[in-house]
Amino acid sequence: MQEKEKFAPHVEDINRALNGKLSEEQIEEELRTYTERYGVPLGSAKRSIVKKYEGDPQELYVSTEKAIEDIDGDEQGLNLKCRIVSINEKEIEVDDEPKQIWYGILGDETGTIPFTLWEEPSIDLEKGDTVKIENSYANTWNEKPQINIGSKATIKEIESEEVPDFDREPQKLDLKDIRENMRNLDVTARVTSIEKKIVNGKDDEEKELYSGILADESGKAQFSAWHDFEIEQNDVVRIKGGYVRSWRGIPQYSFDDSAEVEFLDDDKFPPSEELDDVSVYTISDLAKRGGAVDAIVDAVMIDIKSGSGLIFRCPECRRVIQKGACRVHGKVDGEPDLRVKGILDDGTGALTVIVNRDLTEEVLGYDLEKAMEAAKDAMNQEVIRDEVEEKLIAQPLRVKGNITSDDYGLMLIADEVDYKSIDVEEEARKMLDEVRV
Amino acid sequence: MSMINREVAWRVFAREFNDSDLMLEGEEERAPSYLVTPLGAKINRIYLVGVLTECENIGTDEEPMWRARVTDPTGTFFVSAGQYQPGVATTLANMEPPLFVAVVGKASTYQPDEETFLTSIRAENIKEVDEEQRDLWILEAARSLKDRLEIGIEASKMDDISVEELVNLGFEEKLAEGFKKASEHYGDLSFEKYERILEDSLRYVLPEYESQSLEDIENEGEVQDERDEELEELIIEIVSDIEEREGLENGVEYERVKNEVMNEGDITQDKFEEVVNDLRSDGRLYEPVLGNLKVIG
Repeated sequence: MQEKEKFAPHVEDINRALNGKLSEEQIEEELRTYTERYGVPLGSAKRSIVKKYEGDPQELYVSTEKAIEDIDGDEQGLNLKCRIVSINEKEIEVDDEPKQIWYGILGDETGTIPFTLWEEPSIDLEKGDTVKIENSYANTWNEKPQINIGSKATIKEIESEEVPDFDREPQKLDLKDIRENMRNLDVTARVTSIEKKIVNGKDDEEKELYSGILADESGKAQFSAWHDFEIEQNDVVRIKGGYVRSWRGIPQYSFDDSAEVEFLDDDKFPPSEELDDVSVYTISDLAKRGGAVDAIVDAVMIDIKSGSGLIFRCPECRRVIQKGACRVHGKVDGEPDLRVKGILDDGTGALTVIVNRDLTEEVLGYDLEKAMEAAKDAMNQEVIRDEVEEKLIAQPLRVKGNITSDDYGLMLIADEVDYKSIDVEEEARKMLDEVRV
Repeated sequence: MSMINREVAWRVFAREFNDSDLMLEGEEERAPSYLVTPLGAKINRIYLVGVLTECENIGTDEEPMWRARVTDPTGTFFVSAGQYQPGVATTLANMEPPLFVAVVGKASTYQPDEETFLTSIRAENIKEVDEEQRDLWILEAARSLKDRLEIGIEASKMDDISVEELVNLGFEEKLAEGFKKASEHYGDLSFEKYERILEDSLRYVLPEYESQSLEDIENEGEVQDERDEELEELIIEIVSDIEEREGLENGVEYERVKNEVMNEGDITQDKFEEVVNDLRSDGRLYEPVLGNLKVIG
C-alpha cells in the first residue's frame, strides 16, 4: 500500500474532527511524527492530535482495524473484519414503539464477541458471511465487551479469504481449569444449587441474575446466568458460549442469552453426592486459578498467626481490637470471640486459613465460655492460642471452604476442618515399591 | 493481578539441603533469595520435623542468639534464631533436648571463603511435636525428593535439558526449571546417592527398622562415602589444640583450621570440606558463631 493512501482516510477524518484548523499536509506530518517517529499506535495518535488542536476526539470516525481479542469495550469508531458466527432477530420497544434489532456473535481468528445491530442493514446478513464493519463502537454488558453497530456504522460483505478460518466451536473445559477472562467455553456440569437474584445494573435498571454452583468430576465453580434458561437445581446442563469473570479472585462461569444451554439426561452424569467430594486442589493449582468455591485442601498447618485463639472484637465494626482499643472506634467494650488464623502449606504452595468460632471450639474441645475462664485463670488470653498451636501445628489437615485471593495472596475461609489420618507405614511401603522398580 | 503469594515451605532432607552451595540472591530490594539444591529445589522457606539434639544461647539474655541442631534420618540441620525471632528464642529457652520439633524457617548460607559454603536455617517458628508428625514429615520429604529425582533422571537423558519437554512429559514446570538451574551449577550428579537416601528414609518409618539407630542405617546404606578417620582425628586435634592454647570460647576460624590442616600434608580443599561436613553431621564439630569451628564435648 502506498504511504499516502495509508494515511489518507485518517487525515481526512482528523481534518473533519478539527473543522479545518490544520491543513491536510500539517495533519499528515503530525500523524507521521506520532506514528513513525514515536511509534504511537494510529488510533491513539489520531486522538492525541485532535486533542492537541482542541478538537473533540469523539468526532473521529475512521479507526484502525482491531482484532476481536483486543477489544476492551470502550472503543469508538471501531473497524473490524470478521465472520458472522450467529445472527438472530429480536423485537424490542423503544419509546413505546416496536423496533427490530439483530444480535449474535462475530468472530475472527483471535476470538468471538457478541454484537447488536441497531438498524436494518443495507445488505442481507447470514450466518457464515464475511464482513467488514466500519465505525461501530464497543461497550461492556455484564462486564464483557460487545460490539454495537449503530446508525453511523456501515457493513460490507467481503471475500471470505480476508478472514482466516477459525475454530468457532467453543472450547470444552473442565470446571477445575477455568481461568479469568476465558471466552467461548463449552462446559457440561450438574447444577448443585441455583437462586434468583435481582441486581442493579447501570442506570439502576433491575436485572435478573441466576447464580449458583456447577459441579463436574474435576471440581466446582460458581456460575452467573444473565438470562432465565429455566435451569433448576440438579439439572445436568451443557452450556456453550459462556465466559469467565472473577469475583475476589474466584473465577465464575458466566453466560447470557447468547449462550446455548442444552439439558442432558440425568443418568449420564454422576449424582451430586459423588461430585461433592472431588474438588481437592493443590495450593499451587489454586494460586494459578486465583481461587475456588467449595474446595478441599490437604495440607499441613505450619504456623498460627497472632490474633488467633481468644480474641476481642469491636462491637461497632467487628475488627479485632488490641489492648481494648479499636483501630477505628477507639476504646470500646470488646466482644469475645474465638478464631484461628494460620498458614496451611502442602509443599506446592501456602495460603492463609481462617477458622471461625464454631470450628475453633471443635478444635479446642471446649466453648468460648470455657476459653474465657481459662484465660482468666492464666491471666493471659494467649494461653488459648498456645492451645490452638498444640492442636494444629504440624498436623495434616483436610480443610474445606471457599478460597479467595487478593494482593496478599490466597485466603481460605474454612467451612470444615478435619484431621487427615495418614497411614505412614502403608504409604512408605507403597513408595518403596515404586522406587525399587 | 500483582498477587504476592507466600513462599512455599519445602520439605527437603538435611543431606540434600547441606549438599547445596548455590544461592540465588534476589536482585531487587526485598526480593526473596533462594538456595538451590543439587536436585533443583529452590528453597526460600523450609519446613522440617526432626529431633532437636542440642540448643544453646550463644548470645546474651538481652540479645539472644540461639543455635540448635535438628536431625533427620539423613543428617543435621543447623538452626538459628536471634532477637528478631523472639518467639522462637523463648520457645528454645524452654526446650530440653532431645525432643521432636517442627521448624519453619528461611534458608540461609554463610561463605567463610570462596570455596566453602555453609547452610543453615533462620527459624521463624519452632514447636514441639511428637513422633507421628516426624514420620509424616519423612514421608512428605521422601515424596518431594522422589519427584525431583524423577525429573533429574529424565533430564539427564537429554543432551540439552529442555524445560518445555519435561513439562510435556508431565513434570511440574517449577521443578523442571529448578533442575535445569541446578544442573548448570552442579553438573553431573550421582543420583544413586539420593536414591539411597530416599529408600533409607522410607525404611526408617517402617516398624521393622525401628530398632536400628540412625548410624546403622546410614552405614548399611552406603550413604556415606569412605570415612577418612585419620583426617577426622587430625582436624579435631588441631581445633581443640588451638582452642585450648588460646582459650577461645567461640571456636577457631574456619579458614585458619583449613590452612593448618592443609599444611599437615597432602590434603585437598575438597577433602577437608568433606571431612568437616562429616564431623559436623556426626556432632563432633559445630559452629558456635558463623564461620568458626568448635569441638563438642
